[in-house]
Amino acid sequence: MRLLTARPLRFGSPRFHSLRTRLATLYAALFAVALIGVAGVAHLVIAGNARASVTAELAASGTVYDRLWALREASLKGAADVVARDFGFRSAVASGDASTIASALDSLRMRAGVPTAMMVDLDGKVVGATGPLAKAAAAAPFAMPAGRSDAVVVVAGHVHRLVLSPILAPTEIGWIVLAVPLDGAEMRNLERLSAIPLIATMLRRTDDGRWTSLDGSVPPDPALDRLVDEAPVARRPAPLELPSGDALALAKPLAGIGARAQAALLIRYPYAAALAPYRPLELGIGGAGLIGLMLVMVGSGRLARSIARPIAALDKAARLLEEGAHAEVEVVGRDEIGRLAASFNRMATGIAEREHRIADLAFNDTLTGLPNRVSLRETLDQLIARSARTAGRNGGVVVLCLDLDRFKAVNDTLGHDIGDGLLRQVGNLLPAMAPDGYIARLSADEFAIVLAEPAPDRPRALAQAILDRLAMPLVVEEHPITIGVSIGIAVGPGDGASADMLLKSAGLALYRAKTDGRGVLRFFEQALDEAARQRRELELDLREAVAQGQFTLAFQPIFDLKADRIGGFEALLRWQHPTRGWLSPTEFIPVAEETGLIVPIGEWVMREACRTAIRWPEHVRIAVNVSALQFRSPGFQSVVLQALAASGLEPRRLEVEITESVFLDGEGPVVALLHRLRAMGVRIALDDFGTGYSSLSYLRSFPFDKIKIDRSFVIPVAEDKSAAAIVQAIIDLAAALKTDTTAEGVETEEQLAALRAQGCGTIQGYLFSRPVDAGAATTMLATPMHAVA
Amino acid sequence: MAAAAPVSVTVRGVDGAPLPGAVVTLEVPGAAAPNPNGTYTVEQRDIQFQPHVAIVPVGATVAFPNRDKVRHHVYSFSKPKKFDLKLYGREDTRSVTFDQPGVVALGCNIHDSMSGFVFVTATPFAAQTDAAGRVTFAGVPAGGATLRVWHPSIRAAGNSLSQPTQVAATGLSTTLSLHR
Repeated sequence: MRLLTARPLRFGSPRFHSLRTRLATLYAALFAVALIGVAGVAHLVIAGNARASVTAELAASGTVYDRLWALREASLKGAADVVARDFGFRSAVASGDASTIASALDSLRMRAGVPTAMMVDLDGKVVGATGPLAKAAAAAPFAMPAGRSDAVVVVAGHVHRLVLSPILAPTEIGWIVLAVPLDGAEMRNLERLSAIPLIATMLRRTDDGRWTSLDGSVPPDPALDRLVDEAPVARRPAPLELPSGDALALAKPLAGIGARAQAALLIRYPYAAALAPYRPLELGIGGAGLIGLMLVMVGSGRLARSIARPIAALDKAARLLEEGAHAEVEVVGRDEIGRLAASFNRMATGIAEREHRIADLAFNDTLTGLPNRVSLRETLDQLIARSARTAGRNGGVVVLCLDLDRFKAVNDTLGHDIGDGLLRQVGNLLPAMAPDGYIARLSADEFAIVLAEPAPDRPRALAQAILDRLAMPLVVEEHPITIGVSIGIAVGPGDGASADMLLKSAGLALYRAKTDGRGVLRFFEQALDEAARQRRELELDLREAVAQGQFTLAFQPIFDLKADRIGGFEALLRWQHPTRGWLSPTEFIPVAEETGLIVPIGEWVMREACRTAIRWPEHVRIAVNVSALQFRSPGFQSVVLQALAASGLEPRRLEVEITESVFLDGEGPVVALLHRLRAMGVRIALDDFGTGYSSLSYLRSFPFDKIKIDRSFVIPVAEDKSAAAIVQAIIDLAAALKTDTTAEGVETEEQLAALRAQGCGTIQGYLFSRPVDAGAATTMLATPMHAVA
Repeated sequence: MAAAAPVSVTVRGVDGAPLPGAVVTLEVPGAAAPNPNGTYTVEQRDIQFQPHVAIVPVGATVAFPNRDKVRHHVYSFSKPKKFDLKLYGREDTRSVTFDQPGVVALGCNIHDSMSGFVFVTATPFAAQTDAAGRVTFAGVPAGGATLRVWHPSIRAAGNSLSQPTQVAATGLSTTLSLHR
């Protein structure tokens, strides 16, 4: 449909911003044009009709005027005849009795209603009037053709009608002459006798033969002359243009005494007057048209609105849909717009369904069906906002971050199916335990529980309950698995005013719980945050240190009690921090491990240690600590190879010290690597033995070249019998496995004596020497040294 | 006294045609007046005066017998003789003596259409034109005379026109044409 295209339909030049206005204007304009057409045609028809009717009426009126004229003559003549034939009057005339004649004429004047009645005798003497009119009357009987008794004369600018009646005795002895002025009053009398509103005007001939009206209402005009002069021939009404308006006119020349008419009657019918009866009709048409136009405007406005409203609703709904809101329009009717609305609704529903599915995928974890991190953040935002509105009166929002302690081991040892099953179980378990919480899965083995405005002890109680529950085995496909969990808790808004802050705080608390030995819960403390900040700083510094070579190695001698000489050195990493001075490896190694920087650092240590050791006598070994992360990094074996190759050090002089933690994520690959290193000739030492997750199974799975007894056993070895027993047991175990032993942290003669007595092969500690730099180490080797005791 | 001679006068109207019914008189000085003692009658018959024009000598008495069944009221307003014969019936005769020369117009006050004339003349030479518009007088003495024509249609004082003429010893034959 074109209406929905971007380019609007155009009706003429004006552009409309709404369909409704456009339609309404179009309809109104069309109707107005039709109306003007109708009015125009009606006007033409009416004007034509009026003209025809006026012509007919005027012609009829002309005939009527003729008859009226004749009747008036007859009436006047009758009145005059009565007197003229009166015996007494005739007798008076015959005898020249002037006073009797005058009185009879007076009586006639009154009776006939004329202003002047005269008697003219055979000698042309006039009784009853004097002046020009009498003179004209005296001439009339002698000048007029026989048989006529009526004449119109112009006397002194006035038009008079003269009616003659002969006085017969029985021959003519005189005439009675009645004179009627054809003035304005007479014209009005004539007009009154007409059925139509005519205007009668008396015209007279001027000296130069033209025609002019007596009252000046019709100015001299050639058209007027033509009209009057042609009147005896044409005898038809003709149009006459006058300053007072166009009219249809009929001229009637009035016979004078002679043959030539001196006066004429002009009757005219102004078109304005002729059209006057039609004016109500025209006004009616106009009025009806205006009312119709208004009705059409209102009606078309409503029609346009009824058409445009669904479209406007569609427009609005489409915009809503565009903004992502749910939009639906009402389906009215079964026309195109109705079908469009229905299609739109189907489309909107389809979009909503697809969006929902996409959102489901985006916001929910497919494995457990729990919400994911994204939806957790959204929910958390909403809860925090709601809590902020209540100003935290009912408590804040609490986030619990959970991390399954041994999930990776489960995955590695029992397989992903079991791992997934385990996660599903946890995913079912948590909602059951925290029906008041919002539970999400954040990553592989990490979950979160959000508690909105919980009771004061609820977070801790819940966390403890989860700890307790997961300390017991879960059975997945008949495998009883004790997974264990660490929990970090952050309480808003104190621990974070936003979702991100709160999650970060809970994450830090979780980190703390992990580092505090797992299987525990920790609340977020501000110090954690500070520590995290420092760690970030340290990380940055560490990267710079790697780049700029701020590391050095210190070497602590390992004294061979049997050979009574230095059997080797342990390479220890030292970092000269540009602002903080010497930093202990315990401070930065965890950060290096977390960030993966341990790999390049470890590589440097390996090369540097080998490079230093090549300068030493051949019986002196170099022991290098390798962190679990470094050990498991893919290129570790080649790092060792390159370090040996670059320095030219014999592999048997290199001792790689690992801790049991390398076994945490699975034994198989580690053991394989250990064997490969062994095959190269490199010695392997098990460091920090006796702490952490010590398991004798490691000793069985790989034949270590040396076991290093942790200082926590060595320090109390002289005073504590149980510690001594453990050390003795380790030494005996190592002896049985044909493995060397090194006691770490030997500081006193008593300890040395006890260890020597127990058969420990080598010792290491402050008693013998602190770690020294490479130069000092070389010097130390050149100086014979003996262990005391 | 010269010998009498015949006089013939033809009258033509304004249209040029011979005018019948006009009275032509020839006044000859010294001519003897006609004898008034004859019998002169103007009848009222069929609502008309019979004859229409009666030529009588001065002093003649004219009888107006009514031959109609209706009554008549004969009058004259003419100067030579004004009279008024009030209503009279059938076979009733009134008489009027005309002692002045001139034309007396007769009318009936009841019947406007009735018109007649009594031509009172002092000369013996007076006669009406015939159908050819002609009159003839015999025995007219030669010498100067006045020729006069009267007809109601003549638009002149007394409806008559006159002109002097000379009657020769051999008589006179002339035509009078009326002009407008």
